[in-house]
Amino acid sequence: MTYYNNAVRTKRELLVRLIQLLDSEQLYDKIDRIPLEMRPRTNSPIRCCVHKDRAVLKYKIMASLGFNIADEVDELTPLKDYAKEAINGIDSNGKFLTVVDEACSSCVQVNYTVSNLCQGCEGRPCQVNCPKDAITVINGKANIDHHKCVNCGLCQKACPFHAIAYLPVPCEESCPVKAIKKNEQGIEVIDFDKCIHCGKCMTSCPFGAIAEKSQILDFYDSLRNKNRKMIAMVAPAVLSQFKTKSQNILSAIKAIGFDHVMEVAEGAAITTSNETQELLEHIEEGKSFLTSSCCPSYVDLVEKHVPALKPQVSHTASPMLFTAAKAKEQYPEHDLVFIGPCLAKRKEVYDTKKIKYVITTEELGSLWAALHIDPSKLDTIDGISGNINPESRGFAASGGVSHSILATLGADKNISTQLIDGIDKKSIKLLKAYSKKAPRVDFIEVMACQGGCINGPGNIAPPSLGLSNLKKSIAELSPEPELINA
Amino acid sequence: MTKPINFKIQICCGTMCYIMGGASLHSLKETLPAEIKDSVSIEGIPCMGLCNQPDAEHQHPCVLINGEIIKNASNHKIVKQLLNHTEL
Ligand code: FES
Repeated sequence: MTYYNNAVRTKRELLVRLIQLLDSEQLYDKIDRIPLEMRPRTNSPIRCCVHKDRAVLKYKIMASLGFNIADEVDELTPLKDYAKEAINGIDSNGKFLTVVDEACSSCVQVNYTVSNLCQGCEGRPCQVNCPKDAITVINGKANIDHHKCVNCGLCQKACPFHAIAYLPVPCEESCPVKAIKKNEQGIEVIDFDKCIHCGKCMTSCPFGAIAEKSQILDFYDSLRNKNRKMIAMVAPAVLSQFKTKSQNILSAIKAIGFDHVMEVAEGAAITTSNETQELLEHIEEGKSFLTSSCCPSYVDLVEKHVPALKPQVSHTASPMLFTAAKAKEQYPEHDLVFIGPCLAKRKEVYDTKKIKYVITTEELGSLWAALHIDPSKLDTIDGISGNINPESRGFAASGGVSHSILATLGADKNISTQLIDGIDKKSIKLLKAYSKKAPRVDFIEVMACQGGCINGPGNIAPPSLGLSNLKKSIAELSPEPELINA
Repeated sequence: MTKPINFKIQICCGTMCYIMGGASLHSLKETLPAEIKDSVSIEGIPCMGLCNQPDAEHQHPCVLINGEIIKNASNHKIVKQLLNHTEL
C-alpha cells in the first residue's frame, strides 16, 4: 500500500504532464523541458544540485514511457527520441519494474551504525560480543568496520544505551522474496527470476527510485491519435479509490474515449462459480485444500518460490481473463484495457496476451486530471450492470473471494476457509509449511497486498479510505448492504 | 448546546487535487483535536480552477478555510492553521 509522499507526487505530476503534452500535440517539442520546468534553478534542490534532480526526473520519465533504464545506450539521447519510440509500444520482456539508478541513494551497505548516544563505556559489550571483530573504539566511541560487519545485530542487542541504530534499506526490507539487492556500486538491482511483481519495493522507496514501466503514452496515443477502438475493463478496486459514486467513476472512464466500459466484477462472478465447482470436485476426490488463483502475484510466488504448492492452486482463470473473454466475444475488433490497482496484472496480461493495455488507478487519476475530466459532473453511463452480484465486487477486499464462494454454496455446505492477507516473509513460511503438511482447511484465499486489491500499489486513496469506500459503492450499487467480511 | 461553527472548511475534490494528496484530506475530521472539532464544518467542493493556472505545481491539494485559500494542504497543516486562529 502506498502512503502519500513527495516521491508519489512527482510520479503523478510526470504522468499528468506527459498526458497533457500528448493531448495538446506538443509532446516532442516539450518533453525535454519537463525536468527543467519541474526543477527550476530557483528552487532549493532535493538532492545535491538541480542538475542531479533533473537527471533523476529524466530517468523517471523514461520509466513512465515504458523503458528499462538500464538499457540506456547514450546518455545524450533526448527524451523526444524515447517518446517517439514509446508511442509505438515497447516490449517489456515481462519485466515491469526498473531501478532509476540516478535516484537510488544507495542506502547503507551495512544496517548497523553507532549513534552519538555511545557513551564509550568500560564494559564495551558491543565490541566483546561482535563475532567478527568489526568494532573498534576510536576517541571514546565505538565504530563499526563496514568491511567486517555481517549485519548480525548482536552489538545492537548488547548495548545498554541503545546507542546502535538499525538503518533499514526500505526496498530490500519490503521485498518478501529477496529479489532486490545491491550491485558493487551500491545500486539496487532486481532479479526477475525471483520477483513476483508485488510492487512492495516500489511503494516503499522514499526516493521513488523503483519505477514501474508504464504503457500510458502508447495507450493514449492509440486512443486519441490512432483512433483505436477500446473497451475499458474496470477492476472493482477502482470503485474504492474515489470520493464519487461508481456511476460517476465509470462514466468518467468512458469519457476518456472508450467505446464501452465493463466491470471486471462480471468476470469475478464466473471465477466464483468455476472455482466453487473446482473446490467441490477437489474435496470429493479427497485432495487436500485448494487455494485461490486470482492474485497474479501469489500465482507467481508459487511458481517461483513454493513449487510444491502448485497442485493446490486453483486452475480457474482470474476475473480479468473471464471479463476479457466476454469482451472479445462482443467486441472482437477492439483493444482491451484493464484498469486496476495492480502491478502484477501487467505481468499476467503480458503472459496471457488477451489484453492490450494495463492502466493503474493512479494513471487513471492522472488521465482525468490532465484531461480535466471531473467524475463528479458525469453520471450518464449505462455501464453499470444490474446483473452483477455484490459479492463479485467484493473481490477487491481480502476475504472477498472466500465470501463469494461461501455465498454461492449456501449455508448447507460445510466448507472451511482461511485467509492469507498479504504476502510477506512470514506468510511465505506458512505457505511453505502448508506445501509439506496440509492444514485442516478446505479453501485458502491468498492476497499479495494486505487488505486486498483496495491496497494495491497502483492506488490513490489512503488504505483507511479504501475499504469504507468500497463498502459504500457496493451498497449503493446493490440493494443488500453488508457483504464484505471485514 | 451546540457550539457555533467558527470554521468552514471546503476541500477541493477536483481530480488534480485529489491525486496530489487530496485523497488523504478526507480523513481530516478524524484528525481534528477535540477542542475545535465541534466548531468546524467540512465539505467537498468541485475544482476551484487553480489547477488550470500556469505554475500550478506544488499548489495541490487546495482547501478553503473561511474562504481563504490554503495551498498544498495536509491534515496537519489545516489543523495548525485552525489552532492558530483559535488562539487569537
Ligand atoms: S482540482 Fe483542485 S483546483 Fe482544480
